[in-house]
Amino acid sequence: MYASFIASVLEQSTPLILAALAAMITLRANILNVAVEGMMLVSAFCAIAVGSFTGSALAGFSAGVFGSIITSLIFSIITLRFGAGFIVAGLGINLLAAGGTLFVLERWFNSPGGLRPLSFPEIWHVPDGSLSFLPFLGSVLEEQSIIVLLTFLAVPICWIFLYRTPTGSYLRAVGEDEYAARSAGISVIKMKALAVTLSGLLSGLAGAQLAMDKLHFFLPNMTSGRGFIGLAATLFGAGYPWATSAAAILFGFFGALGDRLQAFDIPSQFVLMLPYLVAIFALTFARWRIYNRNKPAKI
Amino acid sequence: MVEKIKRNNTNFPNFLHSLVAPLGAIILTMILGFLLVSIISEQPVLAYRELLFANFDSLNNFAMFLNRATPLVLISLGITFAFRAGVFNVGGEGQLFAGAITTSLIGISFSSLPAFLLFPFAIITGITAGALVGWVPGILKVRLGVDEVVVTLMLNTIILLFTSYLVNQVIRDTTAYGAVSWELPKHIWLPDIPGIPDATSGFLIALLLTILSWLIMFRTKWGADVRSAGTNLRYAESIGIAAGKRVVTAMLIAGGLAGCAGSLYVLGIGHRFEQNFSPEYGLIALTCALLARVHPVASLFTALFYASLLNGAAYMQISTEVPRSLVILLTGLLVLLMTARLKRNSSSAQTFDAF
Repeated sequence: MYASFIASVLEQSTPLILAALAAMITLRANILNVAVEGMMLVSAFCAIAVGSFTGSALAGFSAGVFGSIITSLIFSIITLRFGAGFIVAGLGINLLAAGGTLFVLERWFNSPGGLRPLSFPEIWHVPDGSLSFLPFLGSVLEEQSIIVLLTFLAVPICWIFLYRTPTGSYLRAVGEDEYAARSAGISVIKMKALAVTLSGLLSGLAGAQLAMDKLHFFLPNMTSGRGFIGLAATLFGAGYPWATSAAAILFGFFGALGDRLQAFDIPSQFVLMLPYLVAIFALTFARWRIYNRNKPAKI
Repeated sequence: MVEKIKRNNTNFPNFLHSLVAPLGAIILTMILGFLLVSIISEQPVLAYRELLFANFDSLNNFAMFLNRATPLVLISLGITFAFRAGVFNVGGEGQLFAGAITTSLIGISFSSLPAFLLFPFAIITGITAGALVGWVPGILKVRLGVDEVVVTLMLNTIILLFTSYLVNQVIRDTTAYGAVSWELPKHIWLPDIPGIPDATSGFLIALLLTILSWLIMFRTKWGADVRSAGTNLRYAESIGIAAGKRVVTAMLIAGGLAGCAGSLYVLGIGHRFEQNFSPEYGLIALTCALLARVHPVASLFTALFYASLLNGAAYMQISTEVPRSLVILLTGLLVLLMTARLKRNSSSAQTFDAF
C-alpha cells in the first residue's frame, strides 16, 4: 500500500523534477524559462511519433530529446541573437509547440484528437521482482522506467555542474551579474545559450518520460501545465538543485495524493487542482519568509 | 517647454517607427505561413484569401467576426492596463472564465428576477469575479514580490478546472451534448447590433471601453500614476505616488475587463456557458496587446486582425482542407518574432556587445 503510493509519487514527480531542473538551470543564468512546457510537448510528440514509426524505444527516446533540444535552440536564437524577451518568446515557443503538434496531427496523421499507436515499444523498466531482496525500496523501484533512474542521477549531476565545474560557476556568475561576468571575460551569450540548451535536454527527458513510461500515446496539450509547475518548484526552491527537486517531489506528492482521493467522492477537478494550488501557496510562503527575513534591514 | 516642442516635432516619425516592428513581424509571419500552406496545399492563394477576407463575404460572416472580436478587444484592454502597471498578466484566460461562469451561475439561478435587476446583477458579479482573479497576482506581486507570471498561469488552470466542475456537476444542461450549462433566460440576452443580425452589441461596449481606457490611461492623473508605477515602481513610490496601490487597482481593472468579456460572451454570444468556448483568448489577447505595443487604441486593431484570422481559419479549413490549427502555429511564430530585433545591439540584453 505505502510502497505503491510512494511508487506513484515517484512516477508523478519525475517529469516535474526534470522540468524543475530545466527551469532551474536557466534561472541560474537569470532567465525565467516558461518554454519548458512547450519543449516537453515537442519531446512527447516526437517520442511517440518516431517510437511508433520505427518500433524502437531508443529511437523514440532520442527523437524526443532531440526535438526538445531543437526547440530550445530556436528559443535561444530568437532571444539571444535577435533580442526577443524571454517570457514573450517562451510563450511563443509554447504556442508554436501546441500549434505545430496539432497541425502535424491534423495534416499528416488525420487525428486531431491525439496519437494512439496500436503498438508501441516498451522503454526499459526495472524488471518485476528483480529487486525483491531490498525490503521497501525494491517494491518502490520495480517497474519504474529508466528515465526515473536517470532523474535520480540528474539531480546530483546538476549540482556538480553548477557548483563544482568552472562552466557551472561561469553560468551562475552570468545569472548573478551580467556586466561583472562580462568584464571577467565570460561570454554571456554563450553561457545563456548553454543554459537554454541544457534546459532543452532536461525538458526532453521530462516529455519522453511523460509519454513513454506508461501512457504510450500523445494528446494535444498532454503536458497540461507541468512545465509551469516545474517553474514554480524552481522558484520555490530558490534555484538550488536539492531544494528544487524537493519542491518538485512535494508537487508530485500532491498529484499522487489527488489520484488516490479520486477513489473517494471528491470531484476529480478539485483533485487535479491540488498541485497548482499548492504551487501558489508554496511560492507565496517562500516569498513571505524572505520578506520577513529582510524586513528589519529595510527599516 | 523645449521638451514639448521637441516631442511634437518628432511625433509623427515616432508613430511610423513604432508601426514598423509589429507590422514587420506580422508580414514575416504571414509569409512564413504562406510558404507552409503552399507546401501542404495545392491552393495556397485560395487558402489565404479565405483566411484573410472570407470574414467580409457576407453579413453573417461579418457578424461572426464581430462576435469573435468582442472578447479579444476587452481582454487585450485589460492586459494593456496590467502591462502599463508593470504586471506581466498571463491570466486573461482565467479571468475571462471566472467572469463567464459567474454570470451564467447568477443568470441561471435567479432567472425569475426581472431583467432590469438581473441584467446588471449578472454582469456586475461577472466583472467582480474577473477582478478578484486579477487582484490575487496583483496583491501578491506588490506585497511579497511573488512572480506574477507563474501565479497567473497556475490560476488559469485552477479556474478552468473549477468551471469544468461547475458546468459538469452544478449547472449542466442534461439535455445537451458536452459540457454546457443551461441556457440563460431570454430576457437578459444582450440585443444584436441594429442592422447586423446575430452580431452582439457587446462589441459596441468594447469600442466604448477602448476609448474610455485610452482617456483614463493617457488623460488622467491616475493613468499617469499607473504608468509611472509600471515604468519604475520604486521611483514612483519615492516621488510620492502610492504605486503599489495603483498596480493593484490596475490589476483589478485588468481582471474586471477580462471578466466583462466573459459576461458579455455569455449574455450576448453563447447565451450559456460552454467549457470550450475560448480558443485560448487569454494568450491571443496577450499577443494582441503586445503587438499593439500596449496601447489601448492600437490593441483594438490588432484584436480585430486576430479575430479575422481566427474565424478565417475555419473558412480556410472548409474550402481548402488546410487545418485550422495553422492559426495557433502562426500565433506562436508571431509571438516569437514580435519582440525580436534585427539589429544586434539594439536590445537591452546585448548592449555590451557593442563594446
